[in-house]
Amino acid sequence: MRQPSVTARRVAAASVSLVLAAGAAACGPEDNDAKGVGGDSTPHKGGTLTVLNAGPQQDFDPARLYTSGGGNVPSLVFRTLTTRNRENGAAGTQVVPDLATDTGRPSKDATVWTYTLKKGLTYEDGTPITSADIKYGIERSFAPELSGGAPYLRDWLVGAAGYQGPYKDKKGLDAIETPDDRTIVFHLNKPEGEFPYLATQTQFTPVPKSKDTGTRYEEHPVSSGPYRVVRNENDGERLVLERNTHWSAATDAERKAYPDRIDVRSGLDSSVINQRLSASQGADAAAVTTDTNLGPAELAKVSGDQDLASRVGTGHFGYTNYLAFNPAVKPFNDVKVRQAISYAIDRSSVVNAAGGSALAEPATTFLPHQKSFGYTPYDLFPAGKAGDPAKARQLLKEAGHPNGLTVTLTHSNAKDFETSPEIATAVQDALKKAGITVKLQGLEENDYSDKIHDVKTEPGFFLAHWGADWPSGGPFLAPIFDGRQIVKDGANFNTGQLNDKSVNAEIDAINKLTDLDQAAKRWGALDKKIGEKALTVPLFHPVYKRLYGEDVKNIVISDWTGVLDISQVAVK
Amino acid sequence: MSEVLLATGAIGTDTSVPAASGVRQFWRRLRTQRAALVAAGVVALLVLVALAAPLLTALEGQDPTTYHPSLVDSARGGVPIGPLGGISGDHWLGVEPQTGRDLFARLTYGARVSLGVALAATVVQVAIGITLGVAAALGKRWVDQLLSRFTDIIVAMPLMIMSLALLAIVPSSFPRPVLVALVIGLIGWGNIARIVRAQTLTLKELDHVSAARLSGWGTWSIARRELLPGIAAPVITYAALLVPSNITVEAALSFLGVGVKPPTPSWGQMLTAADVWYQAAPQYLLLPAGALFVTVFALTVLGDGVRTALDPRAASRLRVGTGRRRESKAAEGGRA
Amino acid sequence: MNGFTGFVLRRTVGTAVTLLAISVIVYVVFYATPGNVAQITCGPRCSPEQVHQVARQLNLDDPLFLRYWHFLQGLVAGQDYSTGTSVQHCSAPCLGLSYQSDQQVTQLIWAKLPVSLSLVAGAMVLWLLLGVGTGVLSAWRRGRFSERVLTGVTLAGTATPVFVIGLVLMIVVCGELRLLPFPQYVALTDDPEQWAWNLLLPWLSLALIEAAAFARLTRASMLETLAEDHIRTFRAYGVGERSIVGRHALRGAFAPVIALNANNVGSAIGGAVLTETLFGLPGIGQELVHAVNVVDLPVVVGMVLVIGFFVVLANAVADVLYAVADRRVVLT
Repeated sequence: MRQPSVTARRVAAASVSLVLAAGAAACGPEDNDAKGVGGDSTPHKGGTLTVLNAGPQQDFDPARLYTSGGGNVPSLVFRTLTTRNRENGAAGTQVVPDLATDTGRPSKDATVWTYTLKKGLTYEDGTPITSADIKYGIERSFAPELSGGAPYLRDWLVGAAGYQGPYKDKKGLDAIETPDDRTIVFHLNKPEGEFPYLATQTQFTPVPKSKDTGTRYEEHPVSSGPYRVVRNENDGERLVLERNTHWSAATDAERKAYPDRIDVRSGLDSSVINQRLSASQGADAAAVTTDTNLGPAELAKVSGDQDLASRVGTGHFGYTNYLAFNPAVKPFNDVKVRQAISYAIDRSSVVNAAGGSALAEPATTFLPHQKSFGYTPYDLFPAGKAGDPAKARQLLKEAGHPNGLTVTLTHSNAKDFETSPEIATAVQDALKKAGITVKLQGLEENDYSDKIHDVKTEPGFFLAHWGADWPSGGPFLAPIFDGRQIVKDGANFNTGQLNDKSVNAEIDAINKLTDLDQAAKRWGALDKKIGEKALTVPLFHPVYKRLYGEDVKNIVISDWTGVLDISQVAVK
Repeated sequence: MSEVLLATGAIGTDTSVPAASGVRQFWRRLRTQRAALVAAGVVALLVLVALAAPLLTALEGQDPTTYHPSLVDSARGGVPIGPLGGISGDHWLGVEPQTGRDLFARLTYGARVSLGVALAATVVQVAIGITLGVAAALGKRWVDQLLSRFTDIIVAMPLMIMSLALLAIVPSSFPRPVLVALVIGLIGWGNIARIVRAQTLTLKELDHVSAARLSGWGTWSIARRELLPGIAAPVITYAALLVPSNITVEAALSFLGVGVKPPTPSWGQMLTAADVWYQAAPQYLLLPAGALFVTVFALTVLGDGVRTALDPRAASRLRVGTGRRRESKAAEGGRA
Repeated sequence: MNGFTGFVLRRTVGTAVTLLAISVIVYVVFYATPGNVAQITCGPRCSPEQVHQVARQLNLDDPLFLRYWHFLQGLVAGQDYSTGTSVQHCSAPCLGLSYQSDQQVTQLIWAKLPVSLSLVAGAMVLWLLLGVGTGVLSAWRRGRFSERVLTGVTLAGTATPVFVIGLVLMIVVCGELRLLPFPQYVALTDDPEQWAWNLLLPWLSLALIEAAAFARLTRASMLETLAEDHIRTFRAYGVGERSIVGRHALRGAFAPVIALNANNVGSAIGGAVLTETLFGLPGIGQELVHAVNVVDLPVVVGMVLVIGFFVVLANAVADVLYAVADRRVVLT
């Protein structure tokens, strides 16, 4: 996926760099529900919804998008085998059928998954959607020309590791079978109880082979959803969608598709987006944003204004900002040093630097707070609100550093309030009280990303974050703590380079479960167990606060995406 | 801000400043200008504040990096608690939103960085400009061609944006303020080189310089004793305008994310962080903006004064446009 | 060689040499820039094998000189490329394809250039009006209090970064007073009226930043002229002060203002990046900053060359205008 540009500055928790090309979502369970501002609050069809975004809707090709749950704008055009439940709060973390009749029928050990397509599904030109098109859509996501998606298909499908996509390899992927036009069967190389979650991603969108134009497909992808692309300027800089008349609500229980037209504009400064939404003039009255949070300064203004406050959607996306240790680098090989830093951390300073208590919640667990992740509260190294420097000093003494310690904290120079200098200086200030002198090493964004994801150059102590590919403990814990996912010659995300047999075994055991509630509980327990190793210091979970225009109705914000779902929004 | 005032004749060029008596005369003339004197006083005060930043903040009992989470309202985005951005006996100018860091301390320490970087960058610009300008003018034809083309290339490149890439190449252990000063210096020397070259070409043709050359002086002696005094006037005047310009360039680099690194404060960085707070905490924006304005204003008025003092008659003899034009004249003279 | 033809010829050759040199510099600088281009292009969670694939596809493994050679080839002869399903041709002069968007860089430039030109053209009119206007006034009122005020006002523009002026203007004019819409680029060819309304604020912000230099330049040149002997003669002959300032002194400011303007217009094509960023105008500068951030070399080279071209062009135009204004000047 492409990096957010520096120009999209102050996009607080928005540019979730690992997840969602468009996924994030917005309002809290407390102030959701369809409520229009004044008068008639029932949603009606018609009108134009404007989307004001900082980043462009790049690579609008289902093979290339990296989304959580199919994304926000992409989900209007691309239907997938399964999708996220479009409901407020916790109910919204469930997987529901989309093109398929159910969320998938697993074999006994969850290595074979079978789906049946609904009847009467068609593309924007009226031609029928077949299971072979879904297979082709997945296959083309393996083409090097169309890179960008999540790694799971490559890791899970039998024999997919070396597959080069249908342009080079005409034979296709044997792991996907299509016995008839409405049936598709997936063969996995290991049990994966969470496969239905994966089937929400845009790679599971049907692509008619005869319409495939390779890298140019993104200019006009063939729609299977309620809207079709009528304009895609400069790689998603401006995207105009209009109603797809061949889409039928009878086969789609999730998308409401009230507006007739959707105009996605980008390249805007985030403070300008919020100014426009708050002024709500002209077309902006029917506008939302799918990628820009309220900033701290704007929050200060909004909180004093009743009208504005009623137009803010609050939501939570599964996301954790943390301090990462690399135990291969001294002195972080010493668990006492890592614990000392855990005790010394001042989370209220960090939260303030991230935008204050309305935009960030202090985190003591690696897993996010939502139930679907299996959140199990724990605070193994209680630092209180402002840190426990005395306890930290004592641990340092035990570790043989009675006169304190000097360490280097690596961070990025991005203006994202996540791994950025503001957070780093807050950490620096807190550790000072515990006798730990922190030197800051601020790297340019690309440099930072290269260094922290390469085991050969990984610093000992740095700011990092992780976001959910779907709302479950699996994609949250496995890439970071599964020892077999340490990548030696490429991008590595197991920052603590943990390779613990019992952890690996437990991950495998949970992946076999197809009862997702059961799995969630075990992920929660595993999180706590890993937490004892003090390989990370969880700092905060972001809270999404998104302003929307005066005429916008039917706000739905799930715990899956944390932002308002534009497939539900009405402007009339 | 543009950096071409001199190139385009905004600043007169006087080829007849006599080297020896110039300094005394200059002071005498400068003293007669009240506005310039006031401006000089303001600049001196700013420099003093910058130098005495640790002392001043010690007086206040604060420092520029300590967080005060209790002084901001976390639930409201971290807006300072209390009237006027949290101004109190402890925090004379209030505190920074979100962090609660002391604004007086950040402003005074910021002066060090902003003024220091701007001055250092100016020195770099002037040094490169004089060296290349004189070398081009006095060197052989191919040297001139080479250096002039090189200058054209530098002027034609969007260097401020390229510096995003340039800054990423330098290891992060390199002291950042020095690096920023160097980068700004390397960005902005093109025009000064053009001016110096043109001025030198003109001077070269003047009688006393030709006489010196005829009497067998070496190139270096000529440059030092005959040319430098003549270049000094336009260079000093232009430099006085470069300093404020460089301060704003530093701010722009901060905006693009490659300025001086936190927790070191600079005015540019403060402005970048503060603009969104214009409505919620106006003093946060107004303080660095005001400081920057006063500095730029004072330096400009002082620059005017220096110019007048160096050349009271505004160099009517050589009231010409670009270096190119001067050069063509000189070339004509050469042929004649 | 003599005359205008010779001038044009020499400048064309000079421009080509300059632009080539610039492209070499950009290649070298970006070769040294950290950032794993293939990984950025492929995505953060691509496997090492996928990253290698992408690197091979983009010729990233080739040595620097070979990559530059490919660039030159494309420039002269165009370039064929695969979309996976078909082969497309990028006709000469082909600046290559964006690593990120797979778009032809030349097409990207054509899409972005109107935005930057619109911004700079309108801002130029305003900065000339504001700058020269205040310059004349302050020369007129020299030494008086009102001149100090004028100087102060124009300097306030210079001393405040454009992102501050622009944002504050936007909040006040569009957000609070609601006098103008929030700027959003509308193509001149689509709707000239909306084009102007939407660009008014960006024009004004940019003009406020630049006007001070013109004001000071105008003032300085006029004062110089006013000090000259022939003006004294005019005065002695009883020519009115208004006529002296208006006709003779202002003429003296003509050449330097043109020179400064040429310089500013050239650099503003790419240098108005902060203005473009703040107002969300999808121009050359904004695209360049983005491309630099994602190490999208073909786009960076393309945009830098366009900017360089305009700077060189603007300087040439200035020289011609000089020659027209002053017959003594020989074009070189």
